[in-house]
Amino acid sequence: MIIRKEDRIWLFLFIMPSLSLFVVFFIIPIIFLFTTSFTNWDGIEADFVGLDNYIKLFNNKTFIRSIVNNIYWILSSALIQVPLALIIALLLSHRSRGWKVFRTILFIPQVVSSAAIALLWMALYNSEYGLINFILDSIGLEEYKNHNWLGTLSTAQPALLAFWLCYVGYYMIIMLAKTSSISEDYYDAAKIDGALQFHMDWFITSPLIRSTFFTCLILGVIFNLRQFEFVYLMTNGGPANKTGVLVLYIWKELQIQRLGLGNAAGVIMIAFGIILLLLMRRILRSQNYN
Amino acid sequence: MRYFFISFMFILTFMFNNLLFAKEISISWPSIWVAKDSKAKVIRQLVNEFNQANSGKIKVVLEDQTDYDLYAQKLTAQLATGKLPDIFTIGSDLRDIFYRSNKGLDFVPHLDYDSNWKSRFPGNSLNSNKKDGKIYMLPYELFVTPVIYNKKLLKNAGYESFPKSYKEFIKMCKAIKKTGKICSSQMTNKNAWTSMLWYSQILVSAGGPDIYNNGLDDPAYLKAAVIMREMFNYTSSDALGATAAVSAGHFLNERSAVFMNGPWFIKRYTTEGIPGLHDNLVIAPAPMVEGGKGGMGGYIGGRQSSLAAGKQTDKNKEKAIVKFLKWLTEPDNVARLSYDSGAMFIIKTELPDDMDRLFKDMSKQAGNAPYVAPIFINGINSLSIAREFPQALSALVLDDVSPKEFVQMLKDAK
Repeated sequence: MIIRKEDRIWLFLFIMPSLSLFVVFFIIPIIFLFTTSFTNWDGIEADFVGLDNYIKLFNNKTFIRSIVNNIYWILSSALIQVPLALIIALLLSHRSRGWKVFRTILFIPQVVSSAAIALLWMALYNSEYGLINFILDSIGLEEYKNHNWLGTLSTAQPALLAFWLCYVGYYMIIMLAKTSSISEDYYDAAKIDGALQFHMDWFITSPLIRSTFFTCLILGVIFNLRQFEFVYLMTNGGPANKTGVLVLYIWKELQIQRLGLGNAAGVIMIAFGIILLLLMRRILRSQNYN
Repeated sequence: MRYFFISFMFILTFMFNNLLFAKEISISWPSIWVAKDSKAKVIRQLVNEFNQANSGKIKVVLEDQTDYDLYAQKLTAQLATGKLPDIFTIGSDLRDIFYRSNKGLDFVPHLDYDSNWKSRFPGNSLNSNKKDGKIYMLPYELFVTPVIYNKKLLKNAGYESFPKSYKEFIKMCKAIKKTGKICSSQMTNKNAWTSMLWYSQILVSAGGPDIYNNGLDDPAYLKAAVIMREMFNYTSSDALGATAAVSAGHFLNERSAVFMNGPWFIKRYTTEGIPGLHDNLVIAPAPMVEGGKGGMGGYIGGRQSSLAAGKQTDKNKEKAIVKFLKWLTEPDNVARLSYDSGAMFIIKTELPDDMDRLFKDMSKQAGNAPYVAPIFINGINSLSIAREFPQALSALVLDDVSPKEFVQMLKDAK
């Protein structure tokens, strides 16, 4: 498409408002974040400290642990949560009796406040009166009667991940919507050839919603890189800093007015996110998801 | 000439209009004394009464802030980037950055102008808040955090009085555990408040009231960590990761025998505790560390919240703010607040004789205490160490670190 010279001005004028917002609310804050990451800014004063903040961060065990925990969150989403959502979407795409009820039930947590979900699960996991320990004790697993799921080193991180993996509604609904756009002709032809439901799901539906699946994977990576509220509310990064994530680390630094250090952690987080997304594009590009 | 006359009349009308129909001054107060806070009811009454008395001229608008952590975070952000609220309360943890921000309303001219208002604040309390000749914070709420124990549960374990030493205290905990109850409520989530208070008590008992001047290399920090670790053997199974609500909940429901908190909690023993709980409660000073440098009956505590205001460009608004703060610090109003909530205030006031028994005991013991030392998160004078304390404590309790490594974690946090 050739844009005439006289049209370029109009083009520029029409995109100016969005571009201005993008620059003001995205570009400028990132530049500010980057420049202040080289200072010891505490909200009032700032002195240039060079790479000190970055050196401190990479020598800080809690910070490194936060990055590792974020990787756990991302992998669990990519390898368990999104594939689970795909399986459920495939099952619901059969439109069996009651499928709408299940779809609604699975999606409801997405409209409930994450704070409410976090507090609910804290109560369920509670070692003194939680429902989970009660059920385990009832079925003969007495050693779990007073087990502190969120307060034990070995179970805190798995407990945080375990309940979150069940919340597949968001990805499920996206993939389910995509299945409804698949022409029935494919399935009719397959049925004539004697294909079973499993064959149709595996050889027809799955390949045709592959691009959506990959999109959900990317969304899963982004959401879990930004993970904060569940960790903050349920464990606050504990016990012993073992469940902390990047956003929580940054938030804690800002809380104690170490804004320069917090911003340096923010820059590292952005860089980490860029690397992850580029990596995902490379892997998924070979699958031709575009 | 005609246009000049019209312009002049317009300006005159505008000025006259502003004088005659002066807009009501609105003062915003994002307040943490709302919802379940023991002071919520009387604070709201005081605000309503003030608004009524100044109807059409001044209106104070309360903005509910139900989470202290988020409120402190918001205040920190406003200190760094924007304009402060018209009126707010502020803890001593934000004192340094508040004064450096230079965004506070300086009360010195107003205090000097009104000696009656100045005289409400005892002794050196105002001068201790003075920096570079300015006072940004008006001392308001005080606190002490003695032991509160359930005498019924102690009696069931064979104890008629509270132990005087930690050795005896641990023995008592074993006895209480045998009765199926929890000895003391503990917590490690957020700022580990209850457990932090216990650590403060043990630390000051071991190292003396000036312990915070000695640095983290003082052996008292290690000694306190050892005792703290032992105490967690006799607390609830959910103490690790417990919030203040969970920790307090055990005590309010008579599952735990010993608690530690401030006077603002007194009313909640009646309103949220099981029926009859309040009658079984007794105030006591914390036990002593054998061979420690602290004194018997020593207390920990300090200044809780101070009143502050954001710097104003409008002098009328500044006067309105000062007027409301004078109303809040009116001795009769402070007495009402203290009577209803059980909270302690620095303002000189005559309290009624029928104050809550627990409040009277707390005040009496604090008055007789050889010292009231700061709590750990205030005395250590480092936000980063205070923040690391809950994580270090959970690592200690889980035996992920030794007591020595616990202290090292605090040092590394600086």
